[in-house]
Amino acid sequence: MNTQTVTLFLALLAVVAEIGTAVAVVLIVGGRFSPAVRRLGQQALEAVSPSALSLAAVVAAVCTAGSLYLSEVAHFPPCRLCWYQRIAMYPLVPLLGIAAWRRDRGVRLYGIVIAALGAPISIYHILLERDIIHESGACDPANPCNIVWVKRLGYLTIPTMALSGFALIITLLAISREELLDGNPQAEVEVQRGRRSP
Amino acid sequence: MATPKPKSKSSAVAAARKKGPPWLWIGVAGVVVILAVAALVSSGGSDKKKNSTAAGAEQTRPVTVTGTALPELPQGGGTDPAVGQVIPEARGASFDGTPVDIRNDGRPKLILFVAHWCPHCQREVPLLTSYLESHKLPSGVDLYTVATATNSTRPNYPPSAWLADKGWKAPTLADSDDAKAATAFGLNAFPYFVAVDGSGKVVARTTGEITTDDFADLATKTLGNR
Repeated sequence: MNTQTVTLFLALLAVVAEIGTAVAVVLIVGGRFSPAVRRLGQQALEAVSPSALSLAAVVAAVCTAGSLYLSEVAHFPPCRLCWYQRIAMYPLVPLLGIAAWRRDRGVRLYGIVIAALGAPISIYHILLERDIIHESGACDPANPCNIVWVKRLGYLTIPTMALSGFALIITLLAISREELLDGNPQAEVEVQRGRRSP
Repeated sequence: MATPKPKSKSSAVAAARKKGPPWLWIGVAGVVVILAVAALVSSGGSDKKKNSTAAGAEQTRPVTVTGTALPELPQGGGTDPAVGQVIPEARGASFDGTPVDIRNDGRPKLILFVAHWCPHCQREVPLLTSYLESHKLPSGVDLYTVATATNSTRPNYPPSAWLADKGWKAPTLADSDDAKAATAFGLNAFPYFVAVDGSGKVVARTTGEITTDDFADLATKTLGNR
């Protein structure tokens, strides 16, 4: 695999992350207005919630691996804002990984807060590299933050991919709540009838 | 002998909640494999560069600098210590090997330093190209470009193709790998302008994107009190 292939792969994963986040938002918001969407959301929640913490840990690990590939293999030096995003993303790997291993859902708050600190930095970085905001009208000769090292599928740059990762992690941690499954008699009935494997 | 207690219905529900369906992980793995294959097939599995360069074009060339280097332009404005100082001379060649010398030849000049990967330079060059198509620099003023900080791993490489694509016509010195010309002229950011009068002295330096009015003003400054 070369840099082109890996960046495209990471971009495709980012698209999946964005779709996952968007679907979750639609189900949550739509569920407030439509009973049918609420039922659909509940079914999705039942399926994903028990594994959400592990999935969030996997997302953080993939983001970290991708980030390390881009700097250490593709030799795209991380800029200042890239480092800030790394500071938010990297600790999530052991934090969520250990929590998933120990089934410690108490980590949710810490994970969401850390990811929520990283996401606005990604947004700022995206605005900077798209020339919507300026830190200055000149480029730092060393390693300016407004260089677009990667642009796949027409819009997926490195901070855009990072934002997709942060958003999916926040979403997964938000739905990783046992209490969300409470009050769903249908799930209990189906388990009792043997339609669901315990 | 005690018999194991059968699982209650509520504990079965709890177990279902804890584990999650196995198809979820199989599905995730399947999606990852499909995306990996799609990426491999779409990118053709090669690292071929899209950018091409003209035959014989070199993106960096040896540069010989003589004279005293200018101090770096102070960050954040203030008095420029280089104003009034005689510029060093940089001798080298353009991308295609045509000699380009920035000398104290008694002619006022504007020198523009650009980096192919800098988004501000990428905007400034077309702006000035468009301006220079309809406006002339004051009589006797020369315009030089120095393509520096060239790096094949950075975006918008190679600079020769970029400048040609934008219709940039000013003589361009391809700076050396170690950016000798840029260092000698005290560059601290891109794009970087140095305005030099007829006696070879710096009259002004500035960095960052500038308007065409500011560009015309810089060009006029090179004429000094002539």
